Amino acid sequence: MTATPPLLPDLSTLPNVEEIGQITTWLAEAGLAAMELANGAGGKLRIAVAPAPAQVATPQPAAPIATAPETVTATAPFFGRLALHHPLRQDPFAPVGSTVCKGDTIALLTIDSLQLPVTAPADGTVVEILAQEDALIGYGAPILTIGA
Amino acid sequence: MSAPRRFNRVLIANRGEIALRIQRACRALGLETVAVHSEADAESRHVRQADIALCIGPAPAARSYLDADALLLAARATGASAIHPGYGFLSENADFADAVEAAGLTFIGPTGASIRMMGDKITAKRAMRDAGVPCVPGSDGPLPAEMDAVHALAAQIGFPVIVKASGGGGGRGMRVVWNAEELGEAVTLTAKEAQQAFGNPTLYLERFMQKPRHIEIQVLCDTHGTALWLGARDCSLQRRHQKVLEEAPAPGIPPDIIAEIGERCAEACRRIFYRGAGTFEFLYEDGIFAFIEMNTRVQVEHPITEATTGIDIVAAQLQIAQGEKLAIRQQDVATHGHAIECRINAEDPLSFMPSPGRITRWDLPGGPGVRIDTHVTAGYTVQPYYDSLIGKIIAHGTTRQEAIARLRVALAEMQVEGVSTNIPLHRDVLADPHFQEGGVDIHYLERWLADRTTP
Repeated sequence: MTATPPLLPDLSTLPNVEEIGQITTWLAEAGLAAMELANGAGGKLRIAVAPAPAQVATPQPAAPIATAPETVTATAPFFGRLALHHPLRQDPFAPVGSTVCKGDTIALLTIDSLQLPVTAPADGTVVEILAQEDALIGYGAPILTIGA
Repeated sequence: MSAPRRFNRVLIANRGEIALRIQRACRALGLETVAVHSEADAESRHVRQADIALCIGPAPAARSYLDADALLLAARATGASAIHPGYGFLSENADFADAVEAAGLTFIGPTGASIRMMGDKITAKRAMRDAGVPCVPGSDGPLPAEMDAVHALAAQIGFPVIVKASGGGGGRGMRVVWNAEELGEAVTLTAKEAQQAFGNPTLYLERFMQKPRHIEIQVLCDTHGTALWLGARDCSLQRRHQKVLEEAPAPGIPPDIIAEIGERCAEACRRIFYRGAGTFEFLYEDGIFAFIEMNTRVQVEHPITEATTGIDIVAAQLQIAQGEKLAIRQQDVATHGHAIECRINAEDPLSFMPSPGRITRWDLPGGPGVRIDTHVTAGYTVQPYYDSLIGKIIAHGTTRQEAIARLRVALAEMQVEGVSTNIPLHRDVLADPHFQEGGVDIHYLERWLADRTTP
């Protein structure tokens, strides 16, 4: 510890609450679950952080997908107006029943002339379209579900 | 309102209580609102009540509230033609203000040039000195490269001095030097830190005021040459440079002294063609005011000035941005009674650790002279991603004593469960005899906290 200036607390005493708070922040930022500090006197302090909540809130409550637990939902990677068809073609990118491969373009998000592709998160068959054509949808909004 | 409006729909580029505060002002003026939000804030009150709500990114602010490109695209996608930045986040980002205007939208705030001038502490101080705003004795510019010259300068100013980063602020990038022996090392270290933290190693030097109070002047300027000052606030109760409780007016400082400083602030605004709301922050000790910095945005504590002057500062921001003339003159601005604001944070009242979680009980106080600004409702979840401010209680009374009494009743009535809050701290502070006397310095709260925890 001699070479390291006081980033970590002196372990002759227990870190105080604020120092523990700082350490938990560092752990969370580093994506670590826990760490253990020990000193020569045999003192030990284990600091564990609760796993980050996976998805805190979805912008609009997604349609219930209770009956199809093996579906994967494609969500909006940005916001914009949803185009389920290519603007120059009649047929939709990924209608219900079509087969998609991970990475295929399944929709577009448009803001004026800007277009962003939405890609399939997994291989499979399109089960249900959850979003409306031409609706302004937010980041993370569910667009369609893909079944295995 | 005969002239056509510049904008009818305002994008609120913020969250929490200030987003709701801005939305209220928009509504009162008949303007539509766009609430852009992160995934974590989808259930927030202002989001649910907005005319248009749009999730622009995930919880981390860097990918939502701080994402300038996303905000500009969101304005395009929703047809908003003005952006209110609130406080924090991008509110004092000159490049963002410029980008908003370059996109043909109205930035509800000063020009990028004004923000830039005030963001750099050296140019800000120079502009203030030129306008006759009193500044603390100091180097009046970047420190010379030669250490001998720095020593001569410090000796001339008089120890203790404080070494500050030109790009710093809010208590970051500064170091107190008590004697000449410590000066060299302090300059080297602070320059290094400033380079790392702000990308700019430029330093300046000022006399270190030992027991100052934090006094600030609210200004409001239109684009037709009118600049008003709306009285003073005392924000001396701070912990780690974070304000905890603010009051208006500043206890014990004669109104004619405030008026003189206020008039100089307004004059400085006229000289730099400042527009919108702003705050001049001063240290005040032994009757001397020393300019620290100008905040080029609405402040958390603006409601206490609204209470004492009766002026809706956020509505005024919107009207100024529409190009309207301020309807009042300086002689119409008066200070009525006394107002105090307590910032309610979701944090442990003893350790100050943030206390995120679901609020299960949220009983708010009321009664004459009590105002609550909050985005929180029962069942709301305090997110760990943002600051812990969950509301503000503002009490207004004919006298300071009455304001304190009303605030104490309000704090006693307020019941919060599910998260810890600093309400017990506020109750203790309001009961403290030195606070009740008025005029404590900026270190008082930290000393008081240290004494409280030392057995």
